[in-house]
Amino acid sequence: MKSYSNQRKVSLFFRYLLLTILAILWLIPILWIVLASFSYNDTGFISTFFPEKWTFQNYIGIFTNSQFPYLHWIINTLLVAIISATLSTFIQITVAYVLSRLRFRLRKPFLQIALVLGMFPGFMSMIALYYILKGLNMLNLGGLILVYVGGAGLGFYVAKGFFDTIPRSLDEAAELDGATRWQIFTKIGLPLSKPMIVYTALTTFMAPWVDFIFSGIILSTSGDPKTYTIAYGLYNMLSSSKGNATAYFAQFVAGCVVIAIPITILFIIMQKFYVSGITVGADKG
Amino acid sequence: MFKRKGHVPPTASYKEVWSKGDAADKLSFFFMGVSALKNKQWAKGFSLLISEIVFLVWFIFSGVSALSMLSNLGENKTKKVVFDQAQGVYVTKQPDNSVLILLFGIMALFLVIGFICLYVTNLRSTRANYIKKRDGKHIATNKEELASLLDSRLHATLMFIPMLGILLFTVLPTVFMISMAFTNYDRQHPIGFSWTGFQAFGNVLSGDLAGTFFPVLGWTLIWAVAATATTFLGGVLLALLIESKGIKHRKVWRTIFIVVYAVPQFVSLLLIAQFLDAQGPLNTLLQNWGWISGPLHFIDNEAAPWVARLTVIIVNMWIGIPVSMLVSMAIIQNLPQDQIEAARIDGANVFQIFHNITFPQILFVMGPSLIQQFIGNINNFNVIFLLTGGKPMNNNYNGAGSTDLLVNWLYNLTFGQQQRYNASAVLGILIFILSATISLIAYRHTTAFKEG
Amino acid sequence: MSFFKKAALSSAVVLAALSLSACSKSSSSSSSTADKKASLTLWVDTEQVPYYKDIVKDFHKKYPNITVKVTQSPNGSANVKTDVGKDASKAADVFEVPNDQLGQMANAGYINPLSPSDTANIKKNYVSQASKGVTWKGKVYAYPYAQQADTIYYNKSKLSANDVKDWDTLTSKGVLATDFTNAYTIWPIFFSAGTTLYGENGENLKGSTFNSQNGVNALTWIAKQKSNKGVMQTSNALNQLKKGNADAIMDGPWNAANIKKILGKNFAVAKYPTVTVGGKKKQLETFLGIEGFAVNSHTSNAKAASQLAAYITNKKSQLIAHEKAGQIPVLKSAVNSSAVQNDPVAKAVIEMAQPGNSVLQPKLPQMATFWDGAAPLISGTYDGKIKPSQYKAQLAKFSKKISQK
Repeated sequence: MKSYSNQRKVSLFFRYLLLTILAILWLIPILWIVLASFSYNDTGFISTFFPEKWTFQNYIGIFTNSQFPYLHWIINTLLVAIISATLSTFIQITVAYVLSRLRFRLRKPFLQIALVLGMFPGFMSMIALYYILKGLNMLNLGGLILVYVGGAGLGFYVAKGFFDTIPRSLDEAAELDGATRWQIFTKIGLPLSKPMIVYTALTTFMAPWVDFIFSGIILSTSGDPKTYTIAYGLYNMLSSSKGNATAYFAQFVAGCVVIAIPITILFIIMQKFYVSGITVGADKG
Repeated sequence: MFKRKGHVPPTASYKEVWSKGDAADKLSFFFMGVSALKNKQWAKGFSLLISEIVFLVWFIFSGVSALSMLSNLGENKTKKVVFDQAQGVYVTKQPDNSVLILLFGIMALFLVIGFICLYVTNLRSTRANYIKKRDGKHIATNKEELASLLDSRLHATLMFIPMLGILLFTVLPTVFMISMAFTNYDRQHPIGFSWTGFQAFGNVLSGDLAGTFFPVLGWTLIWAVAATATTFLGGVLLALLIESKGIKHRKVWRTIFIVVYAVPQFVSLLLIAQFLDAQGPLNTLLQNWGWISGPLHFIDNEAAPWVARLTVIIVNMWIGIPVSMLVSMAIIQNLPQDQIEAARIDGANVFQIFHNITFPQILFVMGPSLIQQFIGNINNFNVIFLLTGGKPMNNNYNGAGSTDLLVNWLYNLTFGQQQRYNASAVLGILIFILSATISLIAYRHTTAFKEG
Repeated sequence: MSFFKKAALSSAVVLAALSLSACSKSSSSSSSTADKKASLTLWVDTEQVPYYKDIVKDFHKKYPNITVKVTQSPNGSANVKTDVGKDASKAADVFEVPNDQLGQMANAGYINPLSPSDTANIKKNYVSQASKGVTWKGKVYAYPYAQQADTIYYNKSKLSANDVKDWDTLTSKGVLATDFTNAYTIWPIFFSAGTTLYGENGENLKGSTFNSQNGVNALTWIAKQKSNKGVMQTSNALNQLKKGNADAIMDGPWNAANIKKILGKNFAVAKYPTVTVGGKKKQLETFLGIEGFAVNSHTSNAKAASQLAAYITNKKSQLIAHEKAGQIPVLKSAVNSSAVQNDPVAKAVIEMAQPGNSVLQPKLPQMATFWDGAAPLISGTYDGKIKPSQYKAQLAKFSKKISQK
């Protein structure tokens, strides 16, 4: 018996050891990114793990940079994220509910078309989207919201999987009591889907913070950095050419760290919802 | 219970409606909504009638020309530079803008199709009213019609705005993209271009881009398989490790790994590229410790192509395993423990249990999302774009590097030096065919996937 | 009514309205009379925005009817072709163009030729390389304001002025950091080896002669640098210079200010060294780039835009650009000003700009294919991924590729 418990202890030790090594492997690059943001740098390249010269100037610089209005970017992104999350969540939940709970003639064709549409790579449609938004005179943050929200109708899979798990007998009982479908939707469907609403809201809220390509195509024409979102703005700091990239690199890293903190916290909070979202969705396809 | 209208109402052909209907029914064949108006279904009647008027006005004033220009994408293909005497400067008379002509042409097509659908709806509703009147049944009042929008037609009400968004921001651009593949929209025809049939497909499949297309396609497939498999397996194993007996503070461990996924990719990947550079921190550290004499080339241009590809897959594991772990943990927690317990009593060891029970269960639940991940990986632009930018360069490719996926190449062709828009549209279509074929086959083989 | 039809109905209305409004907009004409009120936009690189705002203020004083908005060009002037190509009608009225993109932009009809009087002015008052640099098929397409050529920047405490006169002494006494993935920096060894790119004048599509023994010599030289201890391959030469791992780098005037900061009192600049290629000692050449401001052909105020472009490239503005950003002027009178004459960087660049030291970047639209293909060819040769036995075949293939229509 003793040897068995020893064996268990050894096994546990090695498992902890393995876990620790893995955790270190995973965290080292993140730690380095944070360290890099405190490193004095005027060449656009960091070649050491620990800063050769510590400085807090990068953080001060990013908030006071006259070329790159960082605070504007945060406010813009927050605005876009809140509006698009609200609208997208509403649309996604609604579409998922309709496709899961209601039966109508074009339901199956719609599901199939949605599946097919999701398989086209998004890049080429950007040119068309650009001109559509131009036609609407919305090559701005409003247009960006419109595109994020416009595509939301196709992101219903996870939420639909969730609604599929709710027993249908609930609806039927309500219907026998004379409730209209609208009442069933608002009184039964929506309250039940609270965890799903949280999940959808969080995922759609995060999208504008990380999308640098599409926001760039829409917002870059204005040439006014005050109208950028955070992802495009930061990316633009590096991608605009010759010489200036080196000057702003350290501030870029600092700006990235500042913005990564809230997103990380948000993500840690929502991981519970994320798990239920994915697993429930995966359950039913 | 959803088939409340289980009884089949007596039908009537449109011919019957036309010959036996009253004046309003007949008029409805020309003026949409008249029958509805006559039956006091004001909302429906007016919306039909007004949309017909709007459509006709649009069709006459701009629809016809938009559609007719679609045939050749604009008459005038060449620019003219003329000297403006009054101003003393040269001005350029631009060719017709084929992009806009194509876009408006497709919109016009959509509108015409939409109008035809609407017209059919109008006929249907006219027929329904006709039948009800003929059979002496109650014709829905305006109020009842409106109320049905929140009950039997709730789906129509709720899907209205989402459909609009999908049509305008997904379907229309996709159709536009597909059409572009059949034109000569490229560097030489940047403003006025024409239809050229399958020429662009020829360029990609057998012309000057074929030497790039097939190798890049091969790597894209290898990447998609490797990236999906490694993150999935890694995630499952990591989850099992954290969930294994005796490990404490599971939430803390989980959070440590999740942090990586939460950092935006354009931050982590751009910087990892520096981290792994020949003169980056990792090489500097290894050299300082004396582990290596010269720098290791992971993803910089001097790296061997397969080393760079392997590095990309490994870095992708760094990003992808945490999510996969998160999901696997949830599934593992919900696994039926009795089966595992029974196996353990029967003397099965850890690996047997994993191989025969745990893993198949996880695979079963995650099957469909694995397919989605696979498709996602075929289109995984970010990792390559931010990490390697396609490097190491490849002298045998045109506009792509050794680690570029098809989507990255597509991006390069559009926004890079060469501006071959038609070729990238072709690539888009080919990527679609690839994804569709694979997922069709895969979905057929996974039992978990059911429509509905 | 099923939801599909409902949706169709409303989208019909929305789309109709949309296309009506869009169609009516697309027919804006460019006819206008002289000196009417105009508002223009100007694209410049991010770091140039502040001083161009000042220049534009002066411009507004001179032309009170014209208001100008200065914004950063979305992806930098190096990518202006793509930025303008995305939607020329939304691009700025006046933007900066590097001369290697001039041919394509002119062919595509994105930019207008200059008026005869401005053309004459440029031919007469600008250094000859600059006016050649902005001329495409007999017409001038941009108001040049700066010349750019790579030079050697080095650490005075490690290398002497004599050391940097020859590649072999330079790399035996110190370390030179450069990037063999950058065709702009490395390709000119082909010029030193005696080959041409698109002919002597750079406008002859079939005129490239690098598919020859001389071309093979150039590639052999590149491959040899891999084993040269004094040549360091790096993706960031500045960083290596700063850390003291490298003593010299090859770079353009746009980085001079950064390098000055890094090297401090040890900063020194010189023209390119001589190299031994194909057994002969030759001057290492460089690409000469001419930066200019061009007028968007979609502008509705062609005249005002030309006035703006002319003004922001006048003598005073060129000197401001030199003072603030180290841009090297191209107007003869500005070149001769004391500020420029006393600037060692400007002197080195101007010397490199002389024929024999540099080759004007060709303007053919095929330059896009050239840049895309030259980098992998050079870096592959340097890494050894392309073997010496393949040089001839690779050059033949590349030559064919870049001379296609």
